[in-house]
Amino acid sequence: MNPITPIINGMKITFKHMFMKPVTLQYPTERPKVAERYRGLHGLKVSHSKAKCVACYLCPTVCPAKCIRVEAGEDANHDKFASVYEIDMLRCIFCGYCVEACPVDALKMTGEFELANYKRSDFLYTKERLLEK
Amino acid sequence: MVNLIIDDKQVTAPKDSTIYDAAKLNGIKIPILCHDKKLKPFGACRMCLVEVEQMKGRQIPACTTPITEGMIIRTATPEIIKARELVLELLLLNHPLDCPVCDKAGDCDLQNLTYDYKVDSNRFSDLKFQHEIDYNNPLIERDMNRCVLCGKCVRICDEIVSYGALTFIDRGIETKIGCEFEKKLDCEFCGSCISVCPVGSLLARPFKFKSRFWALTKHNSVCGYCGTGCNLTLGVKDNKVLTTVYDENQGFHKGQLCVRGRFGYQFINSDKRLTKPLIRKNGTLTESTWDEALELVAGRLKGGSAVAALATPRLTNEELVVFKKLLLDSVGTKNFDHAAGYAHAALTEGFARSFGTSASSASILDIQKSDLLLVIKTDSYETHPVVGFEVNMAVKNKGVKLSVLSDKRGKLSKLPHAQTLVHLPGSEVAVLNAIAKTIIDEKLVNTHAASVPGYAELEKALSAFSAEVVAAQCGLTAADIKKLATDYASAEKAMIIFPVGQAYTGHNADLASAVANLAILTGKYGKEGCGVLCLSEKNNSQGAVDMGFYAQNGGLNGLQILDACTDGTVKTLFVAGENPLTSYPNRSKVKKALEAVEFLIVTELFLTETAAMADVVLPVCSFAEKTGTFTSADRRVQYVKPAISKNSQLKTDFEVFSDLIVKLGGQSSSTPAVLFGEIAATTPGYTGMSHESLKSEGAFAAVSMKPAFVVPQATASVAAEAGKLALVTGSALYHSGTQSQYGEGPMHVCPEGYIELSRADASTYKIAENDLVTVSSAEGSMQLKAKVTPRMPVGVAFAPYHFTAAPINTIWSGAPVTLVSVAK
Repeated sequence: MNPITPIINGMKITFKHMFMKPVTLQYPTERPKVAERYRGLHGLKVSHSKAKCVACYLCPTVCPAKCIRVEAGEDANHDKFASVYEIDMLRCIFCGYCVEACPVDALKMTGEFELANYKRSDFLYTKERLLEK
Repeated sequence: MVNLIIDDKQVTAPKDSTIYDAAKLNGIKIPILCHDKKLKPFGACRMCLVEVEQMKGRQIPACTTPITEGMIIRTATPEIIKARELVLELLLLNHPLDCPVCDKAGDCDLQNLTYDYKVDSNRFSDLKFQHEIDYNNPLIERDMNRCVLCGKCVRICDEIVSYGALTFIDRGIETKIGCEFEKKLDCEFCGSCISVCPVGSLLARPFKFKSRFWALTKHNSVCGYCGTGCNLTLGVKDNKVLTTVYDENQGFHKGQLCVRGRFGYQFINSDKRLTKPLIRKNGTLTESTWDEALELVAGRLKGGSAVAALATPRLTNEELVVFKKLLLDSVGTKNFDHAAGYAHAALTEGFARSFGTSASSASILDIQKSDLLLVIKTDSYETHPVVGFEVNMAVKNKGVKLSVLSDKRGKLSKLPHAQTLVHLPGSEVAVLNAIAKTIIDEKLVNTHAASVPGYAELEKALSAFSAEVVAAQCGLTAADIKKLATDYASAEKAMIIFPVGQAYTGHNADLASAVANLAILTGKYGKEGCGVLCLSEKNNSQGAVDMGFYAQNGGLNGLQILDACTDGTVKTLFVAGENPLTSYPNRSKVKKALEAVEFLIVTELFLTETAAMADVVLPVCSFAEKTGTFTSADRRVQYVKPAISKNSQLKTDFEVFSDLIVKLGGQSSSTPAVLFGEIAATTPGYTGMSHESLKSEGAFAAVSMKPAFVVPQATASVAAEAGKLALVTGSALYHSGTQSQYGEGPMHVCPEGYIELSRADASTYKIAENDLVTVSSAEGSMQLKAKVTPRMPVGVAFAPYHFTAAPINTIWSGAPVTLVSVAK
């Protein structure tokens, strides 16, 4: 084989790619399209302007990383609600069992994947931060 | 025993078993919702259907069908499973299915069965119930929408508690459980209904939404209130006691509890608990360190002939012994006592003289085995509610006769065929003497009685107590006294029950001797179902007596110690857990004594009023945080272990006393277990016990008796003077000592002191329920809320002693009966 041929072949591929859409994203100016079933940051669903969560404790029970802390409270109508709902994102393994276990469909996993923070304490997501906006 | 075949397995069971019992006994599980082993069979839920071959394969309920010889039973044929699935479908038809918000989830029989039988769809459709939910009750939340109408709550309230607060109301599909005329629930709040509810219809409100059942760690313990010695299971999460969990296999009482046992646990994790030692500096108590505080205390105790101590009988046996060692050996004082120095006199003096031992000659287990119960004061129910349940069951299920000798009527007087003799307050001993005399006169004396020492003296002394004379003095009829005497003497087995405690000053050594005389005269002791049961007040009152923690060999007793404080002979007073300012008689005298004493040391859980007067307050642990043993009123020694780990800032009383012994140059036992070894070796009846052997189950300390007749001193009965009422003090059903004030449950139901009056007196003085009345005696006067009840006889008033906010000792100087005037 002509020793030049492989180089030409290689250059061909290189040249072809110069006109193709690049695979990499110019993050953060360009944003990836997250798949719908992607398991990112949790979100507490809201219905009738309050969280759907009834503090049944099934998510902390099922959580293999034990990263969810719930405390139940009683509201003015004597209904149960989560007075505390916290997820420690440093412990979370994003398995999604919590969403699966939820009997009232109050929890989801969003496409939010940018979870970097400067302080450890910032990884503790409180109910306020988890509520669906 | 009957032989039968269940699921192809040859089994045997006792003759009186039902199919359900027989199967359970042999490890075959039959699903059921409406059964509790304490209750009579009912057959409401139809889950326990089984097939009996002899009955042509018909499906019959296992829980109501008695077994017969040769029965061939199948518990799980496809037809039965289908039938059970149908039952579940029908139950779930109206059930709200709100398991995520129902506190019963995880412990719910209906949920478990639905899961077991995989009932995940329903062929029927119907509306859910729309019953109103009772959120207002502070202890028991009732949600009848979840109810499966098993009737367990109704039955336990009737059969065991004997209150009958709940009942089935309405008919057909509209049937529900409620109070009569749909009134609000106002009962004893023992929570028995909650404990047996198979679903989430009846829930403990203090525990509402606190935790899921599966997240709780269950710790067995022994109740820290009264002397019954009930076993408890504490539900713990995150090192906090959140609830008590029902276990039908626990203790002689099979998990049955009273309001304070079930709902009075909050003091363990109360925010008001002391966490740091306090030392008085410049007149105020300031936080300090253990080193500083113990150094100071040790310095005061050193070489202290002027030291005295009062301990609460809520301490463990080990703590009492190590405290005694500290006082006797390291400090060198004989002046120590518990329970005001008189609340144990029935045991330490009365029984010691009459039976030769400071312990009861009967156990709580004898109650249901007896033929006749003689209860002195209906308050036995109020001081020891679970013993009261035993009496209820004995009378209602076993047909045991019940005679009550009391200064007022009460819950026990309402039991079927109960005979209540209401005498004038303070005349118990005279009436008992008259009964003894009748027994002698009617020749009902046991053949061996005449040979018991002291018989002749007793016979002579009793000559003044003829039934006629006593009846006239005590407001009874001679016929009643004679009937009681013949009933008691002629019953094959008879037992006497009486409570003692700080509020029952009349229940002293003389009363103990008077009742002991009856038992000895008729030979009703030392046998099953016979004897005298003295219900000591606190959880370890009997233990304190067994450990010898009371004034002996010339030591000053509780009240003498306070006198000595006032006159300056006692300069340092060590109070371990007692709250004399509220619970000892004559408040002004106690206050003067505590003010006069130079140095007051208090070990406490809370800053009680007594602790607030102290120079050093040492924070210690509750029963749920320590290891040790408690001895119940009937001398059952039971082991307690920590259910939660103590706050690192706290020490147990055991550690405090041990540290002090070391600081004073002595040597102390390393652990409660080691010390208990010493106790077992030296205390009569405790031989062979060890923490290890008591771990699974408590053991009775043997009682050996040497009977003797003792002539009891009868006090004259107190008749009300014109314009005055005879006030008797006692215990309220919802409280025990002053500790229950820190349990939220009891305080929800009975938050303040009160004075109970008869209807006649109330109308005479124009007092209505809940009126604030001024009660005055020779000691002082105070304001109390009035309670008008039909149980009080005319001229008699009753007041409980537990409340710091309304200390009854303001007007009560320790006399069994105090004459008071009431005015609005």
